[in-house]
Amino acid sequence: MLSLNKVTIVQTITLIFALSFARGQDRKINATLYPGCQVCTENDTLVYIRAEGAHNTIHQLWDFTGGMPLVILTVAGVNSTMNITWDHTTPVKFSISEQPKYSFATAIDKLYEYDDIHDNGYIDEKVPKRSVDLWRATWWPHSMVLTDQEVMVQLRGHVNDYGRSGTIDIKLDMLPFQDYAAELPHLIHTANSTLLDVSLVNFTTSPDYNASRYALNLLMVSQDSSNSTMTTTVRKSLDDEHTPGIFEIVEVESPRSSSGPGAYVQFRPVAYRQRARDVASSTRARPSVPARTRIPEHSTLRAFYRGVDPSTLLVQNMRISFGEPGDGFYAHHNYTAWSASLGYGRAPVEGFSALVVGIVACGLGAPALLLLLGGAYACASARRPPAP
Amino acid sequence: MDNPESSEINGSNMLSTTSWCHPANKVHRFMALLLMCFLCFGSYFCYDTPGALADNFKDDAHLNTSQFALLYSIYSWPNVILCFIGGYLVDRYFGVRLGTIIYMVIVFVGAVIFALGAYINAFWLMILGRFVFGIGGESLQVAVNSYVVLWFKGKELNMVFGLQLSFSRFGSTVNFWVMEPIYRWVANYYGGYERLGVTLFLAALTCLVSLICGLLLGWMDYRAEKILGRSEEQTNEEPFHLKDIVHFKSTFWLVSVICVAYYLAIFPFIALGKLFFERKFDFTPQDANNVNSMVYLLSAALSPFFGILIDKTGRNVMWVIISIISTIGAHFMLAFTFFNPYIGVVSLGISYSLLASGLWPLVALIVQENQLGTAYGICQAVQNLGLATVLILAGVIVDKYGYLMLEMFFLGCLFVSLIAAVLIYIIDSANNGVLNISPSKRESMKIYPSSSNEETANLLENEESDNHEETDSRRPDIVETPPQRDIAQAQSDRIRSRYLSQILPNTNIPDRQ
Repeated sequence: MLSLNKVTIVQTITLIFALSFARGQDRKINATLYPGCQVCTENDTLVYIRAEGAHNTIHQLWDFTGGMPLVILTVAGVNSTMNITWDHTTPVKFSISEQPKYSFATAIDKLYEYDDIHDNGYIDEKVPKRSVDLWRATWWPHSMVLTDQEVMVQLRGHVNDYGRSGTIDIKLDMLPFQDYAAELPHLIHTANSTLLDVSLVNFTTSPDYNASRYALNLLMVSQDSSNSTMTTTVRKSLDDEHTPGIFEIVEVESPRSSSGPGAYVQFRPVAYRQRARDVASSTRARPSVPARTRIPEHSTLRAFYRGVDPSTLLVQNMRISFGEPGDGFYAHHNYTAWSASLGYGRAPVEGFSALVVGIVACGLGAPALLLLLGGAYACASARRPPAP
Repeated sequence: MDNPESSEINGSNMLSTTSWCHPANKVHRFMALLLMCFLCFGSYFCYDTPGALADNFKDDAHLNTSQFALLYSIYSWPNVILCFIGGYLVDRYFGVRLGTIIYMVIVFVGAVIFALGAYINAFWLMILGRFVFGIGGESLQVAVNSYVVLWFKGKELNMVFGLQLSFSRFGSTVNFWVMEPIYRWVANYYGGYERLGVTLFLAALTCLVSLICGLLLGWMDYRAEKILGRSEEQTNEEPFHLKDIVHFKSTFWLVSVICVAYYLAIFPFIALGKLFFERKFDFTPQDANNVNSMVYLLSAALSPFFGILIDKTGRNVMWVIISIISTIGAHFMLAFTFFNPYIGVVSLGISYSLLASGLWPLVALIVQENQLGTAYGICQAVQNLGLATVLILAGVIVDKYGYLMLEMFFLGCLFVSLIAAVLIYIIDSANNGVLNISPSKRESMKIYPSSSNEETANLLENEESDNHEETDSRRPDIVETPPQRDIAQAQSDRIRSRYLSQILPNTNIPDRQ
């Protein structure tokens, strides 16, 4: 009886371990750098990832050729393929073998420097601000992984716009299975999403601004009715295990999310002001309400959506402002880093880790068992006649 | 002063006892009581200033949670040792007046060093300040307890103990209420870490006020000694007999496990609570401090009632188990729900008071009377050791794994203490012990030493034990005991009085004693 129990326990434990460590691939991924471009060099960064799943294939484009960092997810049939036509080093046409079911694009088209006179920590209509357009930024990749287990690029962009200059470090990362990002804020990766990590390093601040902070403009394009709107929800989570001290998750979802699969941008409202990310160096990242806008000129986005009926394209932008009252503004550390995950489908929900479940189970189980055994023992010894 | 009658003996005095200036007069003693209440106010107030300004420490001094928790941890380190010798030094070398003033000066200096460290933003200096503050803080309580015994022995002793310690605990509560407005006011004139430093300097003023009260009381005591012809007793005996340890029963060690594990789920929680309430429940800093202060406020208010409840019902182990379970419930609620945290914290405060009322008298039931001092000393030392180490760990957990994991850690500690409590129950009922029976049954069980019985009564009962020492010394059997025993008895009385603070729940800030 006891040995049988032991076997069952061992089996259960093995099963739990197997489940928690299994990283079954959800999609088969295949990444290529500037496919079809004959004259491109390593400084022309366009990564194409074909992620084939059971029911569909997600075609991802990570593009820096147009200056602004851009991620496009296109969902089409399982066997669909994508072809890119190039004009010298500029992609001009993207053709998919099947009619795409959905597409969602996210770009950082500009940064804002704003003078946060009242030390609020966010940009609004009243504060003085200047934009820094990114379409003229130049990018150099300094690290790249293109395997069937991980696709990751790290690029450094130099911005010089009307006297303001600085460096943007961007990391894009995709895994064929679900996992938490290695770095804070440890967002959830899925095979349907890409992790975006942006750092604004050593940006010069305008001399006439005393309280410079930066914000970035996140441009989002989805194949939805242009009358609809993206919804921002700030969800409260019980679990701050992966992002210590942050109990909120911001999710911007495209309209199709409510009825069928749409796309999402998910992030924690936190940014880091030092390279070594921890609770002490954290500050707030505050999103604005998405507003309608147009696809910018001179962009790969324009080429990608050429020929698409504008009434079926929803184009919105959202500003993410960094900083919180009393943090000494951008100049205090000259550094701000922020992460988001961009994906197709429903935004993933984090679950309690095995450790949390284990502690609760053991903690409740052991004393209860002890109480039961103790009670039984006490009853048994009470019935026994007292020893002489 | 061991002779209870001495306070009534009027030595050569020019004053009539009816004059309020006379030390034996009620009004005069009441004034002394007022001063005694303020003696520990400052140190309790300053103990929790980091907790009340947690977010400001993060923003102004740029401390991460691990460094912040170290501010609390460092306070407990000296007290792992000092809780054994602090009282001994007072008895043996300083005397109560000098001892109190020395410890108060240490506390004040520690608070000032701490504030200076914040003012010049030197973390090591803050740590040094908290260390010095810790050296004084714990021993000060011991010295003040001696004052209380000196002035109120044989009369209203337990009530005075309760009042003095409730009031001290109230210092922590007030701290949580006022530090945020003070900080905001200071922020009008200073910026950055300087405003934090200035705020802490202002907080250190409470220690100065306490010091002034200490000096006044010292003068009153000096005067009383002359008028009443009282002489301070010097003891040559070591108050602690570490060799007693080997004779302690397993249940005592289980009680120590609860002393450590249970309180780990309370004090680190209060120390780190402010940011938890701000971040998880979106509380404003002031609201977060208010909810954080509830545990202390409730324990100050409820202790007498729970004391009476447990006196009447006995069954200490059952009450301990109940309060651990309800603490687990409270932490569960805080960890896994978004219910208003007042619900969780109030139930935490209630369970905490109940546990203290049930737990501390257990020691007296388990351990022989002449070993009580050692027993309580061990409980306190391991508790401080636990706090000192775990507070560091708690800070690291918050930084690396977040508040949910911290709550899981607290739950883990509570589970350990629950197991220990259940084991006590099992061992005790297996041996037909006295720990979990009603008082009437305890009374009828003559197998237990009579002194233990009275000990319980005294430790639990406020009204009845008022005259405990008096009746004790008048009892013929005590008079008949050999002198050796008498000295041991007196010694144990004194040590026990010192630890009465442990028994009254509101005082069970272990590292505050």
